[in-house]
Amino acid sequence: MSKVTSDQNIMYDGSTMKVVSFACIIIVLAVVFTGSISYFITRNAVVDKLKSRDLVYIIESATAKIDGRIARARETSLLLARDSAVNEWVLSGEKNEQLGKYAKDKLTDMAQSYDYVNSFIVSVVTGNYWAEEGRLLQRMSEDNADDYWFYETLKSDKAVSLNIDYNIGRDNTYVFLNALIGDLKHPSGIAGVGLSLADIAKEFTEYKFGESSALWLVDGNGKIHLADSVEQNGKNLNDFMPAAVADQIIADTNSQQTQPQILEYVNAAGETVDLAYKRTESTDWKVVLQIKRSESIAVLKTIKMNTAIASLIAVLMITLVFYLVSRRIANPLKRALLLTQKMEQQVKARTSELAESNEKIMDSIEYARLLQESILPTSEELEDVLGFYFVLWRPRDIVGGDFFWVRRVSEEKSLVALVDCTGHGVPGAFMTMAVNSALKHIVEQNHTEPAQILSELNLQMKQILHRNHQQSFRDDGLDIAICAIEGHSRLSFAGAKLSLYVRRDQEIHTIPGDHKSIGYKASPETLTFTSQSWDIEAGDQFYLVTDGYIDQNGGKKNYSFGKKNFTTEILAQQEAVACQAAHFETVLRNYMADESQRDDITLLGFSIR
Amino acid sequence: MENLCIEQTKSTPTIQFDIVNNKLRIEGQSYPENAFKFYEPIFNWLDQYLTEIDKETVLEIYFHMPYINTSSSKCIMMLLEKMENAYQEGRKVAIEWYYNHEDEAALECAEEFKEDLMLPFELIVLDDDE
Repeated sequence: MSKVTSDQNIMYDGSTMKVVSFACIIIVLAVVFTGSISYFITRNAVVDKLKSRDLVYIIESATAKIDGRIARARETSLLLARDSAVNEWVLSGEKNEQLGKYAKDKLTDMAQSYDYVNSFIVSVVTGNYWAEEGRLLQRMSEDNADDYWFYETLKSDKAVSLNIDYNIGRDNTYVFLNALIGDLKHPSGIAGVGLSLADIAKEFTEYKFGESSALWLVDGNGKIHLADSVEQNGKNLNDFMPAAVADQIIADTNSQQTQPQILEYVNAAGETVDLAYKRTESTDWKVVLQIKRSESIAVLKTIKMNTAIASLIAVLMITLVFYLVSRRIANPLKRALLLTQKMEQQVKARTSELAESNEKIMDSIEYARLLQESILPTSEELEDVLGFYFVLWRPRDIVGGDFFWVRRVSEEKSLVALVDCTGHGVPGAFMTMAVNSALKHIVEQNHTEPAQILSELNLQMKQILHRNHQQSFRDDGLDIAICAIEGHSRLSFAGAKLSLYVRRDQEIHTIPGDHKSIGYKASPETLTFTSQSWDIEAGDQFYLVTDGYIDQNGGKKNYSFGKKNFTTEILAQQEAVACQAAHFETVLRNYMADESQRDDITLLGFSIR
Repeated sequence: MENLCIEQTKSTPTIQFDIVNNKLRIEGQSYPENAFKFYEPIFNWLDQYLTEIDKETVLEIYFHMPYINTSSSKCIMMLLEKMENAYQEGRKVAIEWYYNHEDEAALECAEEFKEDLMLPFELIVLDDDE
């Protein structure tokens, strides 16, 4: 790791916000989608209802109103015409005063009581036109174009005829119901009532459907006779819709239709307009209703707005929820990461502390090795005493309890020893220092026989190691092999647990040391050792080895290397002693393979010159 | 008095001293940094055990130690001496010492121990397959 990631980066990584944003987008899409669907469904439902019910209802109501009014007027006209008194009065040439009074009263009563603008009795006999309030208004004349209706009606053979008269002066349309008096074949006159469409106009305005809606009563030419807005009276359908639509309505003369016709068109402003019309039953007039689509579905604006507001609220809520949830979820993770980071830092700090203290210890031990090496003989000393030689000195822990020692006692005599103190590492090294001084001291006291030296060494080491008779379980001592070489002909050996191996030609002679260790509590102060003598022949090779080499584990079964293997390896040597170090080292390394070194290892080989 | 059980490590053997069946078992390599520290509780346990058992108890001791370093071997020697003393006092102590076939170093080591002892000390070879 090059750099410690900062806390900030852990606390504010973008992933949380990414999740929240993603979720918001999804939700907005979902809300807009469902909102749009419900909008379109509702709009279609509204338009459908408008076309199939609302427009139909209004147009039918308006038509029924007009038809009803005309039907009532028709009945009223018939009542008046079929009144026998009226017939008699007319037939009497309006001479009978009594009947005349009755007929005139009736005329007056009709107009006043039943809300007609006009009531009349016209006699064929006299040609007199009696109007409401019993006034004689005029005398009919075939020459007068205005009276043309009278003579046409008489010839119609129909009990009641409808006559529509648009009065330009009054800007009003009047509907007259003309009923024949007496025999239909030979009527004696015509009686009837007239009603003003302006009277119906009031009711028309009740059907006002919206700001842009328009309800008209139009005649067969498309002329508007009645509108819910008075100013539109007298205008034409063409003025309010495309000519094609107006023509379609005007041209539809199918009197069989009982259902209102529904259609829609787009006006000049590009707005969709719904339109319904129906023919009245009593006339060829039509009631036309139109309204802009936008107004009918105005209610949907609310839905639109509500959907937008709902989306906004949903997004806000979800954002909040996601933020809180992700914080709750992410927090332990972040904490774990922070903790890990802190621990890593602590581990690093500790590791560097350990490395530092390890380095100190290693420096100290490296220095100890320099000291320990200083007690080891130099190559000159070794060469002087041993002639040809090799030495493997492998403390397990840089320094150790193994060491070797040579001393020239005289021109003719020299000593060589191999020592294995208990313990390894620094404790072992301390022991070697003590043993080294003891040996020096013993030789200086003129003890030069190997067995004698070992007895002395035992005594001195016990004094050094156990002088204050501690009760602790500490119990230290050493194994040693020591040889005195006298001239080039004789070697005497004494050993404490260590042996001398001698190769002569293809034979190994093992000269075992005593089964006694030196310096231990159990080693009595009176301990004696035996010296064994060996007459040196040219080519004899001598080997001293500590148990570290022989006991090293390894091989297929992880056993100790063993004495047998060791002696076999001695016999396998082809080279002179001075060149054998590498071979023994290789053999050991191959045997150990991946195993670690168990003990300090020292191997000394020599052949006397 | 409780059983003494110590788990094996790379450098110390398994210790299983079973007071119910009177079987003591030591198995594994022994080369701790401080052998006396490792063996001290074992000495103490054995001392107490030997004072507590009655004279007729037959004590079976089982060793299988492929490698014993110098200071450990001093400790093992001390253990064996305690057992030897118990034997000399008339207790029924018998040692079975197992070693692997071909492991001559282990055999030599065992033979060295056996040399100084009077108590029954049986050397038993294990086939390498075991």
